[in-house]
Amino acid sequence: MPLLDGQDGQDGQDGRGGQDGQGPTPVLPVPPARSEGIDRRRFLTVLGATSAAVATTSGCTEPAEKLIPFLVPIEDQTPGIATYYATTCRECSAGCGLHVRVREGRAVKIEGNPENPINRGKLCARGQAGLQGLYNPDRVRTPMAKQANGTFAPIPWDAAIAAVAAKLTGVAGNRVWFVTGHETGSFDRLVTQFLGGVGSTNRVSFEPFGHEALRRATREVFGIEAVPVYDFAAAKYVLSFGADFLETFGSPVEQTRGFADGRAARTGTRARYVHIEPRMGMTGMSADEWVAPNSGTEGQVALAIAHLIVEDGLVKNGPPASALRGLLGRYEPEDVAERSGVSEEIIERLAKEFVAGPSLAIAGGMGAQHANAAFTAAAVHILNYVAGNVNRTVKFDAEATFPGLGYAALSGLTKAITDGTVDVLFVHGANPVHGTPGTAFGDALGSAKFRVSFARFWDETAMSADLILPDSDPLEQWNDSEPRAGMHLLQQPVMSNVFDTKQTGDVLLGVAQKLGGTAARRLPAASWETYLKDAWHGVQRTVGVAGAFEDFWNESLRAGGVYRRARTRPVGLAASATRITETPIASAEDGLTAIVYPSPVFHDGRGANRPWLQELPDPVSKITWSTWVEIHPDTAGRLGISQGDHVEVKSASGSITVPAYVYHGVRRDVVAVPLGQGHTAFGRFAENVGANAYRLLGATPTAFGGVDHYVPVSLAATGVHERLASTEGSARQMGRGIAQAVTVGQLAAGETGEPESHEASPLPENIEKLLEEVQQEHYDDYNAHAPYAGDHPRWGLAIDLSRCTGCSACVTACYSENNIPQVGVDQVRRGREMSWIRIERYFEGGDDDRPLEARFLPMMCQQCGNAPCEPVCPVFASYHTPDGLNGQVYNRCVGTRYCANNCPYKVRYFNWFDSSNPADTTYAWPEPLHLLLNPDVTVRSKGVMEKCTFCVQRIRGKQHDARMRGTPLKDGEIQTACQQTCPADAIVFGDLNDRNSRVSRLAALETGYHVLDGLNTRPGVTYLRKVRNVVEA
Amino acid sequence: MTTATQPTYSEVTRDVVASMGRPGRGYYILLGFVLFVLAAGGVAFLYQIRYGLGMAGYQPPVMWAVYITDFVFWVGIAHCGTLISAILYLFRSAWRTAVYRTAEAMTVFAVMTAGLFPVIHLGRLWYAYWLFPYPNQRQLWPNFKSPLLWDVFAISTYFTVSTVFLIVGLVPDVAAVRDKVTGFRGKIYKLFALNWRGTDSQWRHYTKAYLFLAALATPLVLSVHSVVSWDFAVSIVPGWHTTIFAPYFVAGAIYSGLAMVVTLLVPLRTTLGLERYVHEEHFDNLGKLLLLTGSIVGYAYLVEYFIAWYSGSPYERESFYFRAFGDYWWATWTMIICNAFLSQLLWFPKIRRSIPMMFVLSLFINLGMWFERYVIIVISLSHEYEPFAMDHYTPTWVDWTITAGSFAWFFTWFLLFARNFPTVSLTEVKEIIPMQRKTTAHK
Repeated sequence: MPLLDGQDGQDGQDGRGGQDGQGPTPVLPVPPARSEGIDRRRFLTVLGATSAAVATTSGCTEPAEKLIPFLVPIEDQTPGIATYYATTCRECSAGCGLHVRVREGRAVKIEGNPENPINRGKLCARGQAGLQGLYNPDRVRTPMAKQANGTFAPIPWDAAIAAVAAKLTGVAGNRVWFVTGHETGSFDRLVTQFLGGVGSTNRVSFEPFGHEALRRATREVFGIEAVPVYDFAAAKYVLSFGADFLETFGSPVEQTRGFADGRAARTGTRARYVHIEPRMGMTGMSADEWVAPNSGTEGQVALAIAHLIVEDGLVKNGPPASALRGLLGRYEPEDVAERSGVSEEIIERLAKEFVAGPSLAIAGGMGAQHANAAFTAAAVHILNYVAGNVNRTVKFDAEATFPGLGYAALSGLTKAITDGTVDVLFVHGANPVHGTPGTAFGDALGSAKFRVSFARFWDETAMSADLILPDSDPLEQWNDSEPRAGMHLLQQPVMSNVFDTKQTGDVLLGVAQKLGGTAARRLPAASWETYLKDAWHGVQRTVGVAGAFEDFWNESLRAGGVYRRARTRPVGLAASATRITETPIASAEDGLTAIVYPSPVFHDGRGANRPWLQELPDPVSKITWSTWVEIHPDTAGRLGISQGDHVEVKSASGSITVPAYVYHGVRRDVVAVPLGQGHTAFGRFAENVGANAYRLLGATPTAFGGVDHYVPVSLAATGVHERLASTEGSARQMGRGIAQAVTVGQLAAGETGEPESHEASPLPENIEKLLEEVQQEHYDDYNAHAPYAGDHPRWGLAIDLSRCTGCSACVTACYSENNIPQVGVDQVRRGREMSWIRIERYFEGGDDDRPLEARFLPMMCQQCGNAPCEPVCPVFASYHTPDGLNGQVYNRCVGTRYCANNCPYKVRYFNWFDSSNPADTTYAWPEPLHLLLNPDVTVRSKGVMEKCTFCVQRIRGKQHDARMRGTPLKDGEIQTACQQTCPADAIVFGDLNDRNSRVSRLAALETGYHVLDGLNTRPGVTYLRKVRNVVEA
Repeated sequence: MTTATQPTYSEVTRDVVASMGRPGRGYYILLGFVLFVLAAGGVAFLYQIRYGLGMAGYQPPVMWAVYITDFVFWVGIAHCGTLISAILYLFRSAWRTAVYRTAEAMTVFAVMTAGLFPVIHLGRLWYAYWLFPYPNQRQLWPNFKSPLLWDVFAISTYFTVSTVFLIVGLVPDVAAVRDKVTGFRGKIYKLFALNWRGTDSQWRHYTKAYLFLAALATPLVLSVHSVVSWDFAVSIVPGWHTTIFAPYFVAGAIYSGLAMVVTLLVPLRTTLGLERYVHEEHFDNLGKLLLLTGSIVGYAYLVEYFIAWYSGSPYERESFYFRAFGDYWWATWTMIICNAFLSQLLWFPKIRRSIPMMFVLSLFINLGMWFERYVIIVISLSHEYEPFAMDHYTPTWVDWTITAGSFAWFFTWFLLFARNFPTVSLTEVKEIIPMQRKTTAHK
C-alpha cells in the first residue's frame, strides 16, 4: 500500500505534529518481506500531522495540536530523534555519498556522507534537492497504461508485468531496444543480461553531457578510452578551456573542493586560474582572468601555448615532444592570435605562467562543446602533456567506467525507430524527448510499436509511452554504482515507498520470469535485492575483504559503499596524437553564435521539477523560474534590445522566445542560453516554465558523436517586455565595499584593505576617535549588563570569499533545513523570495576599461552584536539571546516589519502570504511535499517576519547532546546547514568567544572584514576578502 | 470684522442652525458615494486580511509603503485643527473663530483615519493589542524602546485630547441648537450640551476650562508629529536618520492640515450658506500661514539635500541623488513643486484672497504632502545600504482601494458632522461681533 493511498487529504498536511483525531492510521506501508535490513525500518504509524483548524481558519486561534504515542514502536526510530542512513546521490553521475536524515519514518534532509572520498560530506544544490524528487507531487504514483483515447489509466503491477512479457513474446530480439541513463553498477549488468535474455544487444546508455569529445580526444591523444581525473588541489595554476568544472562538468563537488583548497587565503601560494571561453559562466566567474577567444578557437590557443612551451624549451626535462613538432608548427602564436582574437602577448604570458609551477589545463566541458570540441580537448591533452602534467595533475583510472557511445548511440536509435525496426522500446532514467537536440527523437518515438517507460515523473518521454512502470526514487532504492574505478557505492532505501512504485530491477526480473526460457534462466534471482547482494559477493572478493558476507554487507551499507583508491594507469602519447584535425564551426550571416549551456541547477532539465531549484537564482544571472538569453550590452544596443525584452532566438533547427539578460560576460558576437527549462510536461513546477534551448540545436551528431552546443542564430525583439524574475537589485556595489577583494600583490605588500572608493566625511581625526570610544564604551556596557553577560558563546561565521564559487548549494540546503517556502515566479518578481541566505553576485569593471570581474558574497543574517532590528520591535519579537544570536520569536511577531526596514543587510523575510495553509493557493508544500518538512523547525504562517537563525535548532540540539554526555561542546561539532553542504568549505561556524576555535582564528585573519562595518552593528559574520591572483599592472 | 454687513446675533444663530437643516439631494448622493468607496475599501481590507499583506504592493526592501504614507499624511492633516483652535486661541487671533470648528472636527476625524493604518499595515493585525502595556497572562510586555510604541501613546493621547477639546468647544453651541430641535437629534444634543444653561458661573468655568485645554493641547501639536517623525528618524535608514525630522514633520503637518482646511472650507461655505462668516479674510490669513509653513518645508528640503551632501556619507548622498534623479524622480519633483514652489505664490495677496485660487492651490498642496511622505518612506527604503537588495516598488489596487477607503472614512464622518453640528462656532462668532450693548463677555 502506498503512503498516500486512501488518505482523505486531512492527514499529514503540514508536518507540524499532531493528528487528525481519527485515531492511528497506518499511513506507511508494511514493505514486502525482505531481509533484516529493511525489516528494521518497518513501522506502522508516524506522529502524523495536522490540524484541520489550521486549514480552515486564518490564524485567529492557535491550532490545537495533539500528540499520540506509537501503537507499535518502530525499530530504529525514536520519536524526536533522527536516524541517518547512508546512500548515494543519483542526481548526476558523480557518485556523491549521502547521509539521509530520517525522522519518524520520513526522509527530511539530505546531507553529504563524510566517508565518501568523492564529496567528503558536501553536496551541491541538486543533491540537496533530491528530497523534492522523492516527495514530488508529480511522480507517477502507480503503473499506468495508455488507453485507446490517449489518456492513461492505472493498472496493477502484475498485469503490467504480464503485458510487457506478452509484448516481448515472439518479437525478434534485435527489435527490442533499451535506453538507460548513465549506469555503472549491477543495474547496468542486469539490463544487459535482460536484453541478452530476449536476444537483443540494442542497449543505449544515454547521458546528455556524456563527455563524448573528451573521450574521443583521449583515445586520439593517449590511445585509451577514459575520462581524466584532475587533481585541482595540487595545481598552482589552472587553465580551463571552456570546462565548467565547478558546475556541470565531471564531478563538480569534488572539483570545487580541490579548487577551493588550492585557492584558500594563503599569501603567495594561492593558485591562479585563467578561464578561456567566449562566455563567462559560473565557473569562469571564479577565474582571476577571463580570456574570451573567437568561438571554436580554444584548441588553437592551447596548441599555441604548447608550441611556445616546446619551441622555447620552457619545461626542463619535459616529456618527449619531438613527434608533436609538426603539429605544433602549424600553430604559431602569431597566427593563432589572429584567428582566435587572443593577443600574442596574452598567449606568451599564459605559456610562461603555465609552466611556472604545478599546473593543470582542462577541456571537454560544456562551455566549449562545439563541433571542434574534440580537437579542443585533444589540444589541451597535448598542452598538459608537453607541460608534464599528465600522470601528475591529470590522471587516468585503470578501468574506464564511462559507458556507452553517448548521443551518437541515441541517434542510432532514432534512426532505427524511424526505419520501423523497433518493436519494443524501454526507456529508463532518461528523458530524451525533452533533452535531445531538435525534435528528432520526439518525432520518431511514435513509430516505435510499444514503448515502456520506467519514468519516476510525468516527463515528456513518459507521456508518449504506452506503459509506465514507475521506478522507485533513488532514496527508496537498492542499487550500486561504480562511478570511478575502486569506488563501489551502495544505495539503500531510506524509507518505504511513498507511492506504489517498484524498482526497475524487480520489474525486469519479474518480466524475465514471466517470459521463461533463456531470460528466466539467465536471471534467476528472486528479487533485485538478492541480485544486488549476489553481485556484492563479487565486490567482496574484488576488494579483498575477509570475513562473513553479512558483516561486509552491513559495514558497506553503514559506510555508503567501499572506497578503494583508484589505481591509475600511466599513459603516453599515442601515434594518432599528431594527426588531430580541426572541424570548422558554423557561423551565422550576422555573426551571432548561441552557446547553449547546461544550467548549473537543472543540468539537462531533470532538476526543473524541483521548486527549490526553480527558485534558486541562477549563479550568473540571478534569474529564477525562467530561461533567458545573455546578450552583450553593445550587441543589445545594436539590436535595440534592453533587459527584459522578449527576443526570438532563431537557428536553422528551431526558435525560442525568451527575455534578454544584458550581460558583459559574453563576447559581442556570442549570445548564451541555458538548458533545462521549457518542459511541456514534467509536472506543475516545470511545465511551461521558460523555453527549451535544445530546440535550437541541430539533431545531427557531431564528428565525435556528441551534440554541437554552438549554433548560429539571429535575434529579433518581439516587442514584449517583462520584468525579469531576478533576485538582484543592483549588480554594482556603488563603492560600498560589500564584497571586497585584495590582490596577491597587495597582500604581499602588507595591504589588506579594500581601498576606499568613496570620499570619507571631512571630520577632524579626534572626533572619529571619540565617537569610536563612545561606541566601544556603550558596547562594553551593553555586554557587561545585558542579560546574556557572562561566560557564553558568541556564535559566528567566517566566510572565505576566496573559496566561494557562487554555486548556491548553501541556499538549497537552507531551504531544506529551515522549511523555507518557495514563492513562485510572480512573487519573486515582487522581490518576495524567502531565501534566508542569498548569494550576492557583484560585478566590477566590464563597463569601463577594467576587465569584468565577478564577486560572490553569501549574505545571511549577520547576527549583529548591536543589532538595529532589535530596539525597533515594539513587541520584543526580535531580541538578543544570551549566546549572541538575534532571536526572532514567530509567535510574538505582529508584523510591523520595522526590523526589516532597519536591517542594513536586508536579510529579514516577511510572510506576505500563508505558505503553511494547505487551503491557500500559496501553500508551498502540496502533498506529499509536506513530508520533507523538518520537524525541528516551525513552519511560519502569514504575517510574521523570519530570517536566518544560524540553524538554532542544530545549536540547541548539539548543546543538549553535550549536556547529556557531560562534556563540553567541541569546536566544529555544530555545523550550520549552509556550512555543512558547502562544497568549497567557504563557511565556518563556531564560537567567537573561544579564541582557539576555527572560526575565531579565521575571523582574526588580516583579510577579515565586516560588511557595512561603519554602521557599528558588530556583526557575527566575518568575511575574508577574496584574494585575486591577478597580474599586477 | 471688516465685512460691510455685520450679522446680528440672531442672524448668526439662524444661519448656523439653518446649515444643519434638512439636507438636499446632493448631500445624500455625496454621502452615498462616500459610503460606497468606504465599502470598497472595507472589502479590499478584508481581502488583504484573508490572503495576507502580499495583496498590497510591498516589494522588499520596501516594507512600509502606501499605508504608512497614508498614516503620516492623516496624522499631518490632524495637526492644523489644534493649531487653529488652541494656539491661535492662546494668541487671541480673532479670525480663527469662523474656521476653528471645521478644523477641529477635521482633526478628530483625521486622527481616527490615521489610527487605522498602523493596524491595516500589520502582518497579524489580530494581535495589534499586544502593543498595549497592560498586565496579562502572557507575561509579555511591549518594548518601550521602539518608536512604534511611542506612536501608540502619541496617537491615542492626541486623539483623546483633540476629541475632548472638540466636545468641550461644542457645548455652548450644542446647547443653543438643543433649544431648537426635538426628537432623536434633540436627545443627542441634550447629551452633548452637558446641561448647559449659559449662566455666568458656567461661562466662567467654561472659559477657564477651555483655556487650560488649549494650553494642554498646544504642546501636543509639536509633540505628536515629532514622535511620528521619530518612527523614521531613530532608524538607520539613509533618508530617515536625520535630526531635522521633528521640526520638518511638524511644519509639514501644519502645512498639510491648513491645506486640508482650505479644501474643506471652500465647498462647505457655499453648500451650507456660510459665506457671510467665512470669507476672503479667513482665506487670506490661512494663506499667510500656508506661506509660512510652506516656506519652512521648502527650507527643510534644502537642508536635507545640503546635509546629505555635507555629511559625506556615501549612503545619504546616493539616497538623495536617487530621490531626485532615480526611478521615482516624478514623485520627488511632484513633492518639491507642489510644496516648495507653489506655496510661494501666496506672497501675492490677490491669490490669497481668491477663493478659487486658494482651493486649487490647497489641492496641489495636499497632493504634494502625500507625495512627501511617499518619497520619504518608499524611496528611502528602496535604496538603502545593500545594493544587491535594492528594488522598485509599485502599489497594487489593494493599496489604492484602501487609501481611497480612508478618504471615504474621513469624509463620511465629516459629512455627518457638518449636517448635525454647527460647523461655525455660534458663540465665538458672536463674540467677535462688535458689542451693541454693555456685556460681561470675556475679551
